Amino acid sequence: MTAQIIDLVRENVIQGRVTRDDEGIEEGMVGQPGVTELIEEALDSGVNIADIITEGLTASMEAVGEKYENEEYYIPDMLASAEAVGVAMELLEPHLARNGIKPKGKILIATVKGDLHDIGKNIVSILLRGAGYIVKDIGHDAEPGDIVNAVREEKPDYLGLSALLTSTMVNMEEIIKALKENGLRDKVKVIIGGAPVTQEYAESIGADGYGADGFHAVAVVEALRSGKQPFS
Amino acid sequence: MAAFKAAGASVDKENRVRMSPGKVTDLIGKAPSEIRLCGRNGKHDILLGGKRVYAGTGGTALNVYEPETGQNHPATLEDLKKIARLVDKLDNIHLFLLPTYPNELSIEQVDVNRFFAGLDNTTKHIMGGVYTSEGLQQVIRMAETVAGSAEALRERPIISVITCSISPFVIDGEYGDMVVAAARSGLPLVCPSEPLCGATSPVTLAGNLVVQTVDSLMGVMLVQAVNPGMPVIFGSVATNTDLRDYKYIAGSVEMGLLNAAGAQMSQFYKLPYYATGGMTDSKTLDAQSGYESAITSLMCALAGSNFIHDAAGLMEFAMTVCYEKYVIDNEIIGMVMRAVEGIRVDDETLAYDLIKEIGPGGNFVTARHTRRFMRREHYQPALSDRNSREKWEAGGGKTTWEQAAGTVKAIMETTAAKLPDTVRGRILAEIKGIID
Repeated sequence: MTAQIIDLVRENVIQGRVTRDDEGIEEGMVGQPGVTELIEEALDSGVNIADIITEGLTASMEAVGEKYENEEYYIPDMLASAEAVGVAMELLEPHLARNGIKPKGKILIATVKGDLHDIGKNIVSILLRGAGYIVKDIGHDAEPGDIVNAVREEKPDYLGLSALLTSTMVNMEEIIKALKENGLRDKVKVIIGGAPVTQEYAESIGADGYGADGFHAVAVVEALRSGKQPFS
Repeated sequence: MAAFKAAGASVDKENRVRMSPGKVTDLIGKAPSEIRLCGRNGKHDILLGGKRVYAGTGGTALNVYEPETGQNHPATLEDLKKIARLVDKLDNIHLFLLPTYPNELSIEQVDVNRFFAGLDNTTKHIMGGVYTSEGLQQVIRMAETVAGSAEALRERPIISVITCSISPFVIDGEYGDMVVAAARSGLPLVCPSEPLCGATSPVTLAGNLVVQTVDSLMGVMLVQAVNPGMPVIFGSVATNTDLRDYKYIAGSVEMGLLNAAGAQMSQFYKLPYYATGGMTDSKTLDAQSGYESAITSLMCALAGSNFIHDAAGLMEFAMTVCYEKYVIDNEIIGMVMRAVEGIRVDDETLAYDLIKEIGPGGNFVTARHTRRFMRREHYQPALSDRNSREKWEAGGGKTTWEQAAGTVKAIMETTAAKLPDTVRGRILAEIKGIID
């Protein structure tokens, strides 16, 4: 029973099916339980939560990553799978502490002041959730003051900042300065990304990491989490 | 917002503008269906509207590809001036859309320097995007000086301006202000929209076309609300994305279809049309760069796109231009324009009497009819090689781009079409920040 539910979770994450109404990649799946229903069922029947996470969610995202590498999957496929994992983690979250499981980390994410281009930031959020992080999205055109306040209140482990325009990218430096002025800079790792951003720029403004794209952003957060230096 | 409200729209708390279908139609109806874009030299004037087709350069690229080294270098102001000189002498390219962003310039310097580089190096019409409101005002003053007066510039607009909306359905504050400023200037204005399949529009082509049409009409309507009757061009930069990494795609067959369909939409609304075609995603001048450029240009042209922008020089996701590619695309556009002309069918061209006269086994080599039509009936290649193998080998066995490099070199040795000294002097004295 337990193994069967976990297998189904894995299969449905790979199919990118959040609920029973989702289509998935293969034909004829509509109506069968999706990840939401399966996780609810697993919780009801007392399946080990650590097993759901490692065997059901983490393993399936690895399989999805491979399919993408092999050019079998497109980005919308990856995002559907990551969204399914994000929803699963949300359902599991209230049960984590009781079972002695610590979430991988909390991430605050925003597109900086003056910039309305938030598609990239939204993709990064989904992928981070898919990788098992708790993500708090504070939207686009975010004032430095609001970001600093959110860091103070939410106490995230990581702060992700995005910009699409060269003219708004400069606001990232302002935010790092504001964090320093408020004594918060050493409380949070800052990771930046977006089309005009480069590794050199990230280093020059004193950010902790630079994500070249959504997948790389997740890899950078993972590296920071395990104490590695992403710039080396 | 005020302009939309004055035109009878309702605006809700979230700044969403709504307007009744009747008012939408009225507002769109105020826009002229034909727009004349003038060159500094009157022989380059073009009249956009109906199904007339013209093609030009496009932008805004950051790099210049050098086929000799296989490398890119960052585009500079000097490159922009040289490209303007080159395009001035390439006869099939009808107008000059400022194709590059000079990397060494700050945003405050860029508008005046880009437009000056264009006006001072080609007598074709100059179209371009602007980056600041101050820049726009300086550019208008510069063009007025070249035209002779403010009235002369409106009478014969030698420049026009491009402003963009954000798909789907957003006009942001800064660009909205720029649209309003441009609309008040009375100069022709393009309002293109750039929905990307599966990213900022539905993944289906029909769904993309809905977003593109609405977004572009939104710009047209804003301009008409601010300044009724103002010349405004319905624009499309619609394309698809690579759904493996969401890269913008510039040479796909779907882009050709979308922009050809945009021509039909603009004809439906009786608005002049700005299409996007003729680019490639190739990183070099190879077969891909030729077939992608040719297929997309041809599709836009045969649908009656009034102005196909980006049709010359662009490659690598529209990030890069190449001198030699301008020459190659000049040839593609020449062939495309011949296709647009089609086959003229009348008594003279059917030549029924001549065929009867020459009869079985005869030939048409010496017929006067042949000499009368041979030059205009058939496109005369400016670049394509039609030599025998022996002759081609004797000429060095050059590939297309090597041949094109020769044309670039020859044009760079000719005299540039500089502004008259008095006008140049006045502009340099009156408008600050121009790097001569």
